[in-house]
Amino acid sequence: MKRIVSIIIMTAFIWMGCENKSTSPGVSDTEILIGNIQDLSGPIKELGLLIPAGTNMYLDYINSQGGVHGRQIKMLVEDHGYNPQKAVVAAKKLIEKDQVFCLYNVIGTSPAEAIRPILEESGVPLIAPATNSSSMSDMSRQAAEYIFHTDAGYDLQTRVLIDYIIDKNPDAKIGIAYQDDDYGENALKGCAEAEGNHGITVQKESFQRGATDFVGQTMNFMKGGCTDVIIGGIVREPVTIMKTAQAIGYKAQFYGLGPTVDPRVGMLAGEAGEGFIAAYWANYPNSDDSGPTLYRQLSEQNNVPEKMRGLYHYYGFATAHVLVEGLMKAGKYPTRERLMKGLETLHDWDSGVFPPITYSRNDHAGVESVILLQLQGGKQVAITDWRE
Amino acid sequence: MSDLLSGLIQESISGIALGCIYALIALGFTLIYKATEVVNFAQGEIMMVGAYVNFFFVTQFAGMVGGLNGWVFLAALFCSTIFAVLFGIVLDLIISRPLKDEPVFSIIMATISLAIILRSLTAMIAGPISLVPVSPFGDSTIKVGGIVISVLDLAIIISAIILMGIFFFFFNKTRWGIAMKATSEDSEAAQLMGIPVKNVYRMVWVFAAIVGIISGVLLAPRMALLDTTMSYLGLKAFPAAILGGFGSIPGAVVGGIILGIIETVSMGTLSFHFEWIKEINDIIVWIVLIAVLMIRPDGLFGIAKVKRV
Amino acid sequence: MIKGRFDDENLKWIPVLIIVVFLFPFLLKSATFSYKYYLYILNIAGIYIILTVGLDILSGFTGLMSLGHAAFLAIGAYTSAILVDQVGLPFELSLIITPIIVGLFGFVIGFPALRIEGMYLGLTTMGFGFIVKRLIIAFREWTGGSGGLHVSKATFFGITINNDWDNYFMIYTFAILAIIIARRIVKSKLGRAFMAIRDSEQAAQASGINLAKYKMMSFFISGMFAGFAGVLFAHTSHFISTDHFDILLSILFIVMVLVGGVGSIYGAVLGTLFIVLMENMFIPLFEDGMSQFVHLEAGDFQVFIFGLIMLIFIIFQPLGLYGMWLKTRIYWKIFPFNPRKRFT
Repeated sequence: MKRIVSIIIMTAFIWMGCENKSTSPGVSDTEILIGNIQDLSGPIKELGLLIPAGTNMYLDYINSQGGVHGRQIKMLVEDHGYNPQKAVVAAKKLIEKDQVFCLYNVIGTSPAEAIRPILEESGVPLIAPATNSSSMSDMSRQAAEYIFHTDAGYDLQTRVLIDYIIDKNPDAKIGIAYQDDDYGENALKGCAEAEGNHGITVQKESFQRGATDFVGQTMNFMKGGCTDVIIGGIVREPVTIMKTAQAIGYKAQFYGLGPTVDPRVGMLAGEAGEGFIAAYWANYPNSDDSGPTLYRQLSEQNNVPEKMRGLYHYYGFATAHVLVEGLMKAGKYPTRERLMKGLETLHDWDSGVFPPITYSRNDHAGVESVILLQLQGGKQVAITDWRE
Repeated sequence: MSDLLSGLIQESISGIALGCIYALIALGFTLIYKATEVVNFAQGEIMMVGAYVNFFFVTQFAGMVGGLNGWVFLAALFCSTIFAVLFGIVLDLIISRPLKDEPVFSIIMATISLAIILRSLTAMIAGPISLVPVSPFGDSTIKVGGIVISVLDLAIIISAIILMGIFFFFFNKTRWGIAMKATSEDSEAAQLMGIPVKNVYRMVWVFAAIVGIISGVLLAPRMALLDTTMSYLGLKAFPAAILGGFGSIPGAVVGGIILGIIETVSMGTLSFHFEWIKEINDIIVWIVLIAVLMIRPDGLFGIAKVKRV
Repeated sequence: MIKGRFDDENLKWIPVLIIVVFLFPFLLKSATFSYKYYLYILNIAGIYIILTVGLDILSGFTGLMSLGHAAFLAIGAYTSAILVDQVGLPFELSLIITPIIVGLFGFVIGFPALRIEGMYLGLTTMGFGFIVKRLIIAFREWTGGSGGLHVSKATFFGITINNDWDNYFMIYTFAILAIIIARRIVKSKLGRAFMAIRDSEQAAQASGINLAKYKMMSFFISGMFAGFAGVLFAHTSHFISTDHFDILLSILFIVMVLVGGVGSIYGAVLGTLFIVLMENMFIPLFEDGMSQFVHLEAGDFQVFIFGLIMLIFIIFQPLGLYGMWLKTRIYWKIFPFNPRKRFT
């Protein structure tokens, strides 16, 4: 018993003596450590390779220019396999063991939601969670002050698309194919909003993630007489639906949300995909803005293979701008509070990759406007201005 | 033809094509279960390996010939089948041989670990970026009285029928087939009768690998992008195998096709007319399955075993 | 008198276990600053131990295969989250009510088990897992749909369970309780009836065991354990979503029981610790070490090593960790006179 007590007392002393040692973990004189949690072994492991590769390309560029206030940025990537529980384990590992300065780009809605309690407990900010769910920028939620969201939500994208369709043709009959998970749920939220605004009903058809067969849904859109169909898919879904529609002789204008901007949609759908309109919320990789130009230049320099370039590689590159800007704003002696304060001072900040971003105390939503791109002759062309 | 009917037929054809693939996967389950009473959880992964291997051969041969043509696909299919034979032998060596006398539980776990290994190894070798599989038939379709059939679907159905015909013939007419049947009845008695049970087991694994790999080859072009999530379709083929009754070859086929049709029709016509179906689209198959099992605990074609004390 | 009750030699480990378990976090805290990371992993293991012990009663002792236990965990977690946060019941009450509700769900699943057997049952329960996941999404007013649900912290008789440190003590108190209860069940008349059913249904029936009653009972008990784990899961991770309760988790639960050794409560505990620690700690750390020398695709490499260890383990040690322990024990007991042949 004596021994136990003495061990307890000793541990208590050691514990108390060490608690105040670290003031800003993850920042040394030469280095800032960033933690990234990606899906490297689960259903979207493709993104787990591409997004950090894009981020690293930009970070290497910044580092070669001298880094942020003389410090090099180093990123650690952990795996969560699209399992929220593993995301929590990875976040704990990064924060407690590897002692990162901040978290960046945690992919997926449920993994990002799952680490909210940790953010609150440890006071670590999360910059640019890689999910288009608008719940990330909902300031009434737990730990919202630590999360700086960049992506425009699926609900906004859907609403803008429906607005656009109704603007062009008030009698349009609209259909939407949604994935039966949180992606689809978010799209339906925007859809319900637009239904209320315009007094219309949208025909809704669901599909499963990873489904290969879309004959039923396409037939239903045809039976319902839809003139405009929004596809809330990624790559396989829009391609297969458009090809099926072509095969059964159903003609409609097809639209897609953010992930369908992927250049592979145009490549795979070929002729069937001509005229496909996708909503996007960043300066698209082919445009002449400063960000995409730099992207193409860096990709050439680093010999990034052609199959890696595209939506997700560019996404990693783009969101890294917000991270670097935040670290810049955090000043010469970065702490987590200064990082958050610094980001909150951004007002109409033009990054070159996104439309102007504003953060404030009560607004952590990044991009809040959407641009529509159309496939014309296999190339994406902007057909609208930024719309809200 | 009425709208409803043509819709149903259109969906059913697509469903049958999908169902044939389920049937082939289920056939893989069935073959192994029949002989060894083991449920092979890695069948979906074997299918995925098939798709990747075939993709590899197609690109290699296309590179050699300098373009895609029918011979490239045939040669790739041939090489994939040879690969399947070797693959089956390897699987037998690492899974079946060392665990021959161990409880069924252990072998099931071995197949689960095999599934994990195959999935990660494939991704490690091929890289995580999705591949773009090519269909030998392109996007060509046939129109029959208002119904559109894709040539690819037709090819899937035909090859599945041929494959199943071969198996049916093999099991009922050849010496080895009968030896296999005997082994699945009672392996000890079969051994006493002079049947080389070890070789029979190896053959079973080889056959399971062949159907798995061919189902992967057939399914890949139906998906616009090929990645390792394809293996989860293996889980979807479980209901097909049970519906027909584990261990019954015609059962696996019928179960697979029923499943494919249910899936496409519930996504299409049914959810067009009943709003609530959309909520349960991906579990409707399981609901049907549990209902069937409540009435026939051994599946549609299963035969209840006589229990011994 | 008490000694008489605990005569069963296996329970003599319990006091040692309690001391080790409750001293461990203090040691950990003094040894490393990142103790919260290790504690969190142990907490996951603790919750899963409660579940796998129950699963062992069902699959190991009664011989009824379940591939849907993640669904029981999900029902427990969601029920408790709804009861506490939306209905307003106190946490202590939810700890009692939720396991009973989940047990009743087990009853419902036990119903088909009266007719369906073996792998058919395993795959039926797997279907049950899919169905539950979809129904959770369908009842989105209560469950938050596929976006998930944030859950409040547990308050236990006025004490708020705040962080991993508190969670550890709460979880392991209940885990040890679960182990003791499970052992009592297994060694009772009930447990003997379960084992009789596993070994031969006909023989069990012939000796007067009511198959229907005991099979349902087994499902009920197993469901209760899972429900209990679910309550702790919800209130210690503070966020639940359908992505947590994937079918792969159900398969992993069975693997935990198998690795430990079928039909042994301590085996289930060992197996759970082994799998959880390996998956979440040893392999990532090993991979971290490796990546200093070679470039690897981190995620798949980790999964690959995990699968490989499992496969090698099962080929060389099909009886599981507990079987391994028993073998070594027998080996030492009869030491100089060991027969040459391998024990089984």
